[in-house]
Amino acid sequence: MSEFDRWVESSARMLARRLPRRSLLRRLGTLLVGGAALPLLPVARAAGEGARAGQPPEDIEGPLGDPSRCEYWRHCAIDGFLCGCCGGSHTSCPPGTEMSPVSWIGTCRNPKDGKDYVILYNDCCGRGFCGRCFCNRNEGDRPIYHPYRSNDINWCGGATTQVYHCSTALLVGLALEGQPEK
Amino acid sequence: MPGAGASGLVGAVVWVAGCCLSAASAVAADDAQPRFDYLLNCAGCHRTDATGSELVPPLTGIAPFLTTPEGRAYLVRVPGVAQSPLSDARVAALLNWALGELGGAEGFTPYSAAEVAALRGDPLRDPLAERDRIKRGQTPFPQ
Repeated sequence: MSEFDRWVESSARMLARRLPRRSLLRRLGTLLVGGAALPLLPVARAAGEGARAGQPPEDIEGPLGDPSRCEYWRHCAIDGFLCGCCGGSHTSCPPGTEMSPVSWIGTCRNPKDGKDYVILYNDCCGRGFCGRCFCNRNEGDRPIYHPYRSNDINWCGGATTQVYHCSTALLVGLALEGQPEK
Repeated sequence: MPGAGASGLVGAVVWVAGCCLSAASAVAADDAQPRFDYLLNCAGCHRTDATGSELVPPLTGIAPFLTTPEGRAYLVRVPGVAQSPLSDARVAALLNWALGELGGAEGFTPYSAAEVAALRGDPLRDPLAERDRIKRGQTPFPQ
């Protein structure tokens, strides 16, 4: 047998002795299942939502460009706790909560390009009040007799549990007209 | 020459894509107002894809309402439409767009602003009872 063959054989045997195959299978399985489940996460869905629309500029200095702040431009019509302070983000729900399928919808003006964008304020539901980063800006908010334009409604009514936890601000796309209408 | 074939193919793809894009933008321009009105006035509850939720029915498959005068009237007299803060003309355009794009309706007579105005003047006292009455008279009908 040649020197090379012996070297390959001893290397292969050493690898087989030192590398646990169950661990390899476990990691491969995690990778396969985890990879398949990734698009189901709320953060991935929120990213897809934005990708379909005209993207507003987000390189904005100061609090207007900081999603963890109440002053963030997309929060212009929000009423609730910012999910970014509650273990989630401004586009995804914290673990253990579910995003309500219904929401109230408004528009906010991007300070960089001066255009209005449609924003979905989907609530995250399933745990008690987050209690952090309360933000109550009501631009474009309507009285409750226009229910679909009111942020005083518990929008967790559309989820399997009606317990409100925090609010997100998902981007839909460009608006034809800013809120409130003139 | 392979290079020439490839560049020709790329050119054709770019040309076709350009045609599709310009066609899409023309359609988008026509639909822009009803799409926007749907988003701001309907999508919060019926959802952006019109699939509805536990709280509100989906708008997909509402085309059978158009097969009777009562059903056609119901789609305007229902509170969310009748009481929307939109002009009669914008409600008519919104309904005509939503019925085709979201509801899958084909070949129906479009609503006019005058028809919407007349039907809004006759609001439903009991929307759910009226919906049940319409559904009883028709099969098959969406749940």
